[in-house]
Amino acid sequence: MKPTKSRRASQTDLKMKSNSSFRLSILFFVIFILFSLLIFRLGYLQIVKGEDFVRAIERREEVPVNTSVPRGRMFDSEGRLLVDNDPVNAITYTAMRSADREEMLETASRLAALIDQPADRVTKRDKQDFYILLYPEKAAGLVTEEQRTAILEGGGTQQEKQQQLDSLVREQLTDEVLAQLTQDQLEVLAIYREMTSGYALSPQIIKSDGLTEEEFARVSERLSELPGVNTVTDWRRKKMTDLTILGSTTTPAEGIPANKLDYFLARGYSRNDRVGTSFLEEQYESVLQGQKTVVKKVTDSKGRISDTITVKEGKAGQDLVLSLDSELQKKLETIVTDKLIELKKGPHSELLKDAYLVMMDPKTGEVLSLVGKRVGEGDNGQPVVYDHAFGTFTAAYEMGSAVKGATLLTGYAHDVVDVGEVIIDEPMKLKSTPVMNSVFNKEMGTRIPLTDKEAIARSSNVYMSKIALRLAGEEYVYNSGIRIEPEDFRKIRNSFAQFGLGVETGIDLPGEADGLASADPQGGSIMYQAIGQLDTYTPLQLAQYISTIANGGYRMEPHIVKEIRSPSLDGETLGPIETVIQPEVLNRIDNTQEEIQQVKEGMRMAYTSPQGTAARYFADAPYTAAGKTGTAQVIYYDDPESPFYQEESLTLTHVGFAPYENPEIAYAVVIPYITTDLEYVIGANSQIARAAADTYFKLKAERDGGDDLTIKPPYRPEEAAE
Amino acid sequence: MQSNKNFAERVDWPLAFLLFLFMAVSLIAIASAQTTEQYVRNFVPYQAAWYVIGAGIITGVMMINSSLYKRAAYLLYGAGILLLVALMLAPNGPGQIAEPVNGAQAWFRTPIANLQPAELMKTVYILGLARMITGHHGTHLIPSIRSDAALLGKILAMMALPLFLILQQPDLGTALVFIAITAGIIVVSGISWRLILPIFGGIAAFGALLLWMAIHMQDFLSDRLGLKPYMFARVYTWLNPYAYAENEGYNLVAAMKAIGSGELFGKGFMDREVYVPENHTDFIFTVIAEEFGFIGASLVIILFFMLIYRLTRIAIEMKDLFSMYVCTGIIAMITFHVFQNIGMTIQLVPITGIPLPFISYGGSSLMGNMLAIGIVFGLRFHQKRRTGLTSDFSS
Repeated sequence: MKPTKSRRASQTDLKMKSNSSFRLSILFFVIFILFSLLIFRLGYLQIVKGEDFVRAIERREEVPVNTSVPRGRMFDSEGRLLVDNDPVNAITYTAMRSADREEMLETASRLAALIDQPADRVTKRDKQDFYILLYPEKAAGLVTEEQRTAILEGGGTQQEKQQQLDSLVREQLTDEVLAQLTQDQLEVLAIYREMTSGYALSPQIIKSDGLTEEEFARVSERLSELPGVNTVTDWRRKKMTDLTILGSTTTPAEGIPANKLDYFLARGYSRNDRVGTSFLEEQYESVLQGQKTVVKKVTDSKGRISDTITVKEGKAGQDLVLSLDSELQKKLETIVTDKLIELKKGPHSELLKDAYLVMMDPKTGEVLSLVGKRVGEGDNGQPVVYDHAFGTFTAAYEMGSAVKGATLLTGYAHDVVDVGEVIIDEPMKLKSTPVMNSVFNKEMGTRIPLTDKEAIARSSNVYMSKIALRLAGEEYVYNSGIRIEPEDFRKIRNSFAQFGLGVETGIDLPGEADGLASADPQGGSIMYQAIGQLDTYTPLQLAQYISTIANGGYRMEPHIVKEIRSPSLDGETLGPIETVIQPEVLNRIDNTQEEIQQVKEGMRMAYTSPQGTAARYFADAPYTAAGKTGTAQVIYYDDPESPFYQEESLTLTHVGFAPYENPEIAYAVVIPYITTDLEYVIGANSQIARAAADTYFKLKAERDGGDDLTIKPPYRPEEAAE
Repeated sequence: MQSNKNFAERVDWPLAFLLFLFMAVSLIAIASAQTTEQYVRNFVPYQAAWYVIGAGIITGVMMINSSLYKRAAYLLYGAGILLLVALMLAPNGPGQIAEPVNGAQAWFRTPIANLQPAELMKTVYILGLARMITGHHGTHLIPSIRSDAALLGKILAMMALPLFLILQQPDLGTALVFIAITAGIIVVSGISWRLILPIFGGIAAFGALLLWMAIHMQDFLSDRLGLKPYMFARVYTWLNPYAYAENEGYNLVAAMKAIGSGELFGKGFMDREVYVPENHTDFIFTVIAEEFGFIGASLVIILFFMLIYRLTRIAIEMKDLFSMYVCTGIIAMITFHVFQNIGMTIQLVPITGIPLPFISYGGSSLMGNMLAIGIVFGLRFHQKRRTGLTSDFSS
């Protein structure tokens, strides 16, 4: 190198050097700023926000745990147990946040030595996973080197490649390979899979069904060697009767139903909680479900639970006291069942399947009995009867003349008929409409003058049809044409709805149906609507309707739960009252007391006057009662496979209340499709109604009255017989 | 070449003392961290051993005549690149030498220890860059905007190669370290501010724009620019970790809880309460901040600052540009590591998996840093005193 250049270079170097030193100082200053930022931010987190974080740690592990607070029990109106909880022992496992597979596997194998665990829930997939976990090398060896390199050199991310490899290994893990797993290993797997199916910090039941006392004791003694394992007392829901409307719950293994997951998780439930899935259990879920114990899990720096402190004590769910009287219910069920079997064994009963009986207190809406029975065929061809109580509010039928009280009251309300007005009953012939006549007067040209009360008592179709025509602004003229507008139908429907016919009754059970309103009714069918052969109603609606008439015009909301009580304090008597369900008036009908009284008198005559439709069954009753029968000629549409599809059949109904002066009960009986022989006259509806009312008054006489809060065992018919 | 000064005087004792303090902090923090028992191994003796080996590396590197570094710089750079390429091509099946760890193919797995070529690459990259810039200045005696631009181009080209290879692994954290080193050296390399300021400003503005778009214009970024959802997730987790506290945000939330709850004085040695995963490596700062509070944590930051200060002093005292650039690169590297690692635990920057130098457990990282510091020791050890600023290395 030339000296001149070297000198110049060294001068430049010098200049560069001082420039660089200056820039280094700037860099150092920037670093100073960065480090200051770190310290400022640190100071903010540790000094300004420090206390918040300390509190956050304290709050952090406060978690509700499944300490199995018992679900609320259900009692009938007399304090008899309907749904109870059976205590059962269980072994649980709580996964730590830091738990690893080896540790869990170790615990599982220790546990396997202490208990027998059936492997029936173990799936093939579980076995494959377990095999890979136990023999990672063997499993990896199942994939050939070529396959492996093919996948590794193929496309996709690392994760995708790993998935491809895994699925290839799984393909090779056939049942033959998996058969290498010994019985002991399968037992460990059966425990291990339960352990891993839980959520962190939430106890998971390992074994509960079939857990013996010895196993429970063995595990209890060795809890210290089994991290995360605990022995607890769990419980199981136990129904004392087969009454369907009590509803059902899920088991912990089923957990929260998938379609309501968000709903329940948002309300603090865990995924493995029992929840009510139908009827009362579902409707009163929030009441029956207890409050979980909230514990603070003190986790140490290893992420392990070192201690648990109870922050809030759990509370058992509240009990439900139903208005249902299980003795009455049972006896009425027997009446309906016996009648149903008797009818089914008789002729023309091909379509007969169900029978319903609803009894309620017309003044409060309390449901005293809700009977629904369905007859099916047993193994030996004999009829077998199932509980179908929910049909009383989910199934709708054409109810026939039972609704005539509502028709007459609608006529009064619209001023088309006066109280006591006489109308001629005669077979009616209108253009392009079949002849309409009353059952007692089928001869064309026979004219029988009837008062409104007689029309009810004798069940005059013509009286009611003429009211319907007047509601549409028409008057009956032989063989004339009529003009009926859709709002004429609506007028009747709106009025019927005030009685609860064709609308939801508001009962405290889910899934209620509101009946079917004929979609496109034509002219003459307005007369059929007036006699209950057009729109359909549920048996419970029928009961609400007769209650409304019985109590003087108030539509009461039916309810099956009477009281909500805290859990029993001593186990002997019912707990303190939390809530009393108050009677709720949904609406008042548009009629005067005089008008309502007129209908009630008509219904009384139906029971007592010689021409009354139910006089045969009620004339000799030792109590005063009133009611109305109904016979609907219906076309069977339920089952297109049936040979009777679109054939005519009869549905028998009966509504009534007693005592006449001061009603305590209102009842409705419905027997759909009772016979396919239209001329076959049977009084099964009225027989059931009479027997039901008799049973009620007999029971009432036996009881000394007085409010007894003692918890009683479930009602058993044989005990009562003693 | 050998100075007349005796051995003891030529060793930078303040720097050695700082390293000793770091070792103490590291061993204490790891001893406490492993009580988490996330791993069964006792890391303290291993880390102590790594420090002993590190001391050996420093001594060894220091003894090599520092002119050698400059001469061998390109060779070393080339060797580093070859290692990275070899890593990329190495068999990466399960149990094989380059099996990916946590999804990144960044390690050679050997029975003794896992080696991360990128750690070595950082230091040799600094050497190569310093050599190249010195050489450039040697031929362009009067710098102009044009020559500066050419220099910038050469620097970026030198960075591109390792950056590309490391992003293939993929290891974003280490890639960012390379960018930080380059930025530091560019500032000191004498390139005109008229070039540096617009470029740095432009990059900063672009970064800010990307961040803004990630929040307000995700569709555009993912549909037009092909960004992946996990990239957005990282930004959102950073900005609002509590919304993702159960999954992606778990580490950050746990780290902040640990640090914040340490308050002013800390909870005391081994009295931690919060479980933070990987707290013996990337999250070791949470252990220090929780157990020793703001005071202890600040002292560690100040310790790092003193290290940077010492390195800056040494750099300024260096009599040749090559040594100065090397020191600058090392300063930038350590600064970025410290700022990124501590910053990510206190929500100052998004989480990236890079260790805290000298403190986190890990052989590769410590060896890489020790090698870098060893070079500083060596540069200082062989520095000629009281001689003119002759470019004795260039002849």
